[in-house]
Amino acid sequence: MDRHPSRTFLWPAMLVLLGLTIFPFVYSLVLSFNKWNLSDRTATWTYVGFANYVGILTKDPYFWSAVKVTAIYLTATVTIEFVLGLVIAFLISQEERFVGLIRTVIVIPMMTTPAVVGLIWRFMYNPELGMINYFLGVIGIKGPIWLGDPSTALVSVMIADVWEWTPFMILIMLAALQSVATEPLEAGVVDGASRLQLFRFIVLPTIQPAIVVALLLRAIDSFKTFDLIYVLTQGGPGITTQVLSLYTYKWGFKFFEMGYAAAMSYAMLIAVDLIATLGMRFVTWQSKK
Amino acid sequence: MELFSRGRLIETVVRRAILILVLAFFITPVILIVLTSLKTRLDALASPPLWIFKPTLENYVHIFVSYSFGLYIRNSFIAATGATLVSVVLGTLAAYGLARYPFRGSEGVSYWILSLRMAPAIASIIPLFIMLRTINLIDKSSGLILVYTSANLPLVIWVMRGFFEDIPRDMEENALVDGCSRLGAFFRIALPMAVPGLAAIAILTFLFTWNEFLFALILTSRSAQTLPVAVLLFMRETGIDWGNMTAAATIMMLPMLVSTIFVQRGLVRGLTMGAIK
Repeated sequence: MDRHPSRTFLWPAMLVLLGLTIFPFVYSLVLSFNKWNLSDRTATWTYVGFANYVGILTKDPYFWSAVKVTAIYLTATVTIEFVLGLVIAFLISQEERFVGLIRTVIVIPMMTTPAVVGLIWRFMYNPELGMINYFLGVIGIKGPIWLGDPSTALVSVMIADVWEWTPFMILIMLAALQSVATEPLEAGVVDGASRLQLFRFIVLPTIQPAIVVALLLRAIDSFKTFDLIYVLTQGGPGITTQVLSLYTYKWGFKFFEMGYAAAMSYAMLIAVDLIATLGMRFVTWQSKK
Repeated sequence: MELFSRGRLIETVVRRAILILVLAFFITPVILIVLTSLKTRLDALASPPLWIFKPTLENYVHIFVSYSFGLYIRNSFIAATGATLVSVVLGTLAAYGLARYPFRGSEGVSYWILSLRMAPAIASIIPLFIMLRTINLIDKSSGLILVYTSANLPLVIWVMRGFFEDIPRDMEENALVDGCSRLGAFFRIALPMAVPGLAAIAILTFLFTWNEFLFALILTSRSAQTLPVAVLLFMRETGIDWGNMTAAATIMMLPMLVSTIFVQRGLVRGLTMGAIK
């Protein structure tokens, strides 16, 4: 055999991937050690060592505010989506007949363009024309200015996220629940186990890997959220909904400080890597038990 | 255990009621948008909102005539189709190679491909922007297709590898013994068997690309601008033109609404990168 066969199949894809992923990452890394303002036509790269990183971590209060907002956003949305997802999936799994139809309808929010989801909710949150304040008005409550009020903006964005991504959790949990073998369950019932016991000792261990995968994927995606928040609030009012991805975008494409933005995006990369690695370690540790 | 006891009946009724509420929650906003797109400008701004109105298509006409919406649809279509074609072709080939002919570093390569999915778009957008600018592919569909392909390849490879690994090798091995080339075995035996999974992942890739926002925002300006970004146009005017915008949003949702029925089969697999089948 002259050449390993997988090379024939693999190389076209590898070429594209290497060119468009490895190279940008290396470029980004080098750029993060320099200062370069794109809007200044005469400017070139100025080497600054770790100054960008030091600046981000010690001299940039908005960075830490973005970290805080991102952390709140991530934890709240993923937790709510998980709990709702599991409960609703459980309810659906008890149905025999309409599952296909339910799945088709449920898929809609998460397949809709996130930017459009942003539009939809902007429409619903509109203080005068929106559905939400209309219904609140019908029962006698004066609705707030959801997206414009600093105290409600973050919650409003999170609700939109929950609407968009709970179906993701539902689908995965449903697939996992449907894969639980019936024999152990029937044996448990014969032995007189209560529903809760059945759930804790038979269902839960079986679906645990699926739960981990779902949580991991959703956590990573939630961390990266950009489109939805950009369309809804652009990070405002003030910086109450400014997550890391938006803040990084601002530095790169509003202030055009490419070196600083590159450093910040590397900080994000490291954070995602941490989340993913910890998650994977947990998965392999679990599966070895 | 009795099946038709009173308790069971109440349980079913309550459960169905909750599920109906849940479904209503997920679908009402979408219906709202579609309905609003059919209202006249005046009706759309009515407060309290009108439930009974005379439907009109004037918003749809308007966005094509005054906002060159046709251009954006064309751009989105070109970008999505192009990226899907290239990533499915290259990705399926690569997946087959990884599944059937693993080599010493292939697990490592696979995990590296998996890790690409984790990276935030914002991290690669800066160098990609500069790269495309250098080779003069900014605001061109070919530039977008290139970038989207690299974004979609990891998913295609990872999921298709799973599908190929599920297919037993016997038939291909028989064909190889009979003198068939490896590529021939791929095309004539493995590929036809992977078609259902392929179809699902192709649709998913198309949808992801159709929905993509950030890359399109930064890498296009006027000629190659795609639908998600174009939607922002309706917001830059004084106030927001809800009639037009909801019409635009409805059109953007069409591919998704049409294809969800077909994606059911490989959906969970595609979403979880093959982790759950």
